[in-house]
Amino acid sequence: MEVLVAQVINGLSLGSIYVLLVTGFNLLLLAAMIIHFAYPQVVVFSMYIAWVVLRYTGNSVPLAVLAAVGASVAINLASAPLFQKIMKNREEVDINSTMVVSMGIGMIITDVLSHGFNKGLPISFPRQLVGDVALFRFGLISLLSGQAASLAVGVLAVSGVFLLLYKTRPGRAFRAIAEDPNGARLVGIPLLSTGLQSYALSGILGGLIAVLLALMLGYASPGLGEQVAHKVLAVSIIAGLGNLPGGLVVGLALGILEALAQGYLPGSWSNAIAFIVLLGVILVKPRGLFGLKL
Amino acid sequence: MAPSEVLLSVQDLAVSYGHINALSGVSLEVRRGEIVVLIGANGAGKSTLLATCLGINVPRAGSVTFRGKLISGLPADRNVRAGLCLAPEGRGVFAAMSVLDNLLLGAHHNLRNVDRNLKRVYEWFPLLQERKNQVTRTLSGGERQMLAIGRALMSSPELIMVDEPSLGLAPIVVNDIFQILVRLNREGYTILLSEQNAYKSLKCAHRGYVLETGKVTLSGTAQELLADPAVRAAYIGA
Amino acid sequence: MPLPLYYFLAITAINILMSWALYLPYRVAHLHFLTVANMAISGYLSGWLVQGLGVSFWAALPLGFAAGGLIGWVISLFIGEAPTFTVVIVGFTFIYITRTVIENTKAVGATMGMFGLPLVAGSPALHRWTILALLYSLVLVVGFLIHRFEHSRLGRAASAVFVDKDLATSFGVDIAKLGRLLQVFSSTVAGGCGVIYGFLYRSFHLDFFTFHLVGLFMTIIFVGGYATMWGVVVAAPALYGLTLLFPPEVASWRIVIYGAILVAVLVLKPEGFVTRRLVLNLERLLSSQRKKIQ
Repeated sequence: MEVLVAQVINGLSLGSIYVLLVTGFNLLLLAAMIIHFAYPQVVVFSMYIAWVVLRYTGNSVPLAVLAAVGASVAINLASAPLFQKIMKNREEVDINSTMVVSMGIGMIITDVLSHGFNKGLPISFPRQLVGDVALFRFGLISLLSGQAASLAVGVLAVSGVFLLLYKTRPGRAFRAIAEDPNGARLVGIPLLSTGLQSYALSGILGGLIAVLLALMLGYASPGLGEQVAHKVLAVSIIAGLGNLPGGLVVGLALGILEALAQGYLPGSWSNAIAFIVLLGVILVKPRGLFGLKL
Repeated sequence: MAPSEVLLSVQDLAVSYGHINALSGVSLEVRRGEIVVLIGANGAGKSTLLATCLGINVPRAGSVTFRGKLISGLPADRNVRAGLCLAPEGRGVFAAMSVLDNLLLGAHHNLRNVDRNLKRVYEWFPLLQERKNQVTRTLSGGERQMLAIGRALMSSPELIMVDEPSLGLAPIVVNDIFQILVRLNREGYTILLSEQNAYKSLKCAHRGYVLETGKVTLSGTAQELLADPAVRAAYIGA
Repeated sequence: MPLPLYYFLAITAINILMSWALYLPYRVAHLHFLTVANMAISGYLSGWLVQGLGVSFWAALPLGFAAGGLIGWVISLFIGEAPTFTVVIVGFTFIYITRTVIENTKAVGATMGMFGLPLVAGSPALHRWTILALLYSLVLVVGFLIHRFEHSRLGRAASAVFVDKDLATSFGVDIAKLGRLLQVFSSTVAGGCGVIYGFLYRSFHLDFFTFHLVGLFMTIIFVGGYATMWGVVVAAPALYGLTLLFPPEVASWRIVIYGAILVAVLVLKPEGFVTRRLVLNLERLLSSQRKKIQ
């Protein structure tokens, strides 16, 4: 029972990371009309940037956070013209070209990380920042400060994003474009600049996710981006591409599933279980649980 | 009647979609305080004309002038801010979003007077206030048309363009919608509307143009057009 | 035969075959990355059969093809008609699961891999010639089959599907069946390639079947030209040879180089270097020359 509760807590923080990643991915899909296969790799790259900043500034957390967010936003905005150039039609998602281009970007980022940082070995974040201090213990249940922080930030970030989407002007514009790009044009919503806004916003999200991941995992490696990417992409298919509330539900579910598997099964099998379940759901419902938007 | 200022002036407008010429040399004008109707069958080019005036399409030739300034080629959001707006064909409201969200989208470019405009829209359309948090999908056709007009009002426009308001609506509802348009006009809004329903729209308009396959074939006051035998034969069936 | 030349010719042949295997389903917009998993599964299977059970290579090879085809067929029952994105994710997930299973299976060497596989012919030199002969006969056979397919009614229907699925259906194309057929063919070829790949090196290791391979094949297809089968033939030796020309320090960055080339080609020459028009013009030129001679 205690293992269960402990793992559900873990699962919620892990799940909120997946939700944030799926939401950033969906934002780009809905408002910028691109499939960004390498969004999680951009996030991992920001983790590395934060790590470098930490090393050179004597573990200054605010600077590292700033650097992570800055790096994500910068990469996103820099890749925007690339995506724009290859999209045939600004009003529809051009799956083939944007997906392949973003895969190429992912290849580049992952390999740069393997060669350019720490000789390709995993990097670890300073222990005091990761927060290994147990805030409280109750039998087998312990809440580490790192977990608490990541859970809190995760919940705040997810609520923040959904608040943005459902209660603010830019959020309305994103949702309008998501539902009907042509209708949005007719209301006078500028598709191009709103698209750019979504690059920036998912960049900011990306930086936050990088910080969260650092808090939660305490390490990063070049392969981390790919692994997380494939799970996040699977989540987005299952939830339905572009389905924001769906992404919330499925992302949390996956986090809890993985955490439970980690709690009861050895080693790399928890990863495999996650993938087997994801694969199973996708095979049975190739268009997602709630229907495909595209 | 004293001559009033020309709000919208379209000169020799030509618009093409690839090789298809949607409009070939259309000229019309809308004066302040008027209700002007564009009559035409499906495919005549009415929606293209309104969309081009708004700034969605860039014309191949010709010009659109609004309040004395050339606006053809300018992006739609600029023109919305300048006082021109469109309630699109098929309502163009976002079915998955709430009534309030749709209205707020109308004010997307002019958030300064949002509260005042919202109050005014609610006065005009109390049912929109009742249902402000409902998902638009649950509204009836007539209610959605009111929402579309309400949304257009949110941008504090001077000229409202309405594309086929009667489309898909029951006759009683159509009457209501036209009554609303007449009342709006009395309050000072200038209205340019496109319609297939020639009779009802001409009955409440001041002037009209007949559009056929991308060209204006007839123009005149509403009475003249109502009495014209060609118009009667083609669009009124009398 | 000098060893470097052997490896160059052999690897190039594998690259051509695998890229063709990926190219064919892409005719209907399916990026069938399951093929890399097929390589791994059939490869390890054959290794185990030969080394563990003493089966002859010449029996293990057709089994490898069959295994690939079978898996491809079963999966295609679910994703024969799925959206592009889903096919990609299914492929990736399968690769993960396959790698995890192999990692944890002692019988096939787990993370150590299998070494010292027997020669397929009497002497090392004969072994190399045999492998090369086998590979290039496969290249001819598969190339011939693909060529016939493209110039058949079915092949033309396939290119209609790429452009517009609904349009193709209205022409009477059975998309599901076509998708399944192409996926099965591609998985079969991949299975055989996996087997030969291992015997080429006389070992199997997880490092052979990574996502780098996916990146490499994608680069070959999109740089060469995804609209015709000849793009692969040109790009495979070119891209592989390119990295052999670099000094070793640069060569270790080859994934970044491939990624950069991929992105550059997508932006600058979206259809790749060998475009349909080029092939058409060449065919016309060749047939007019033939007429002159006659």
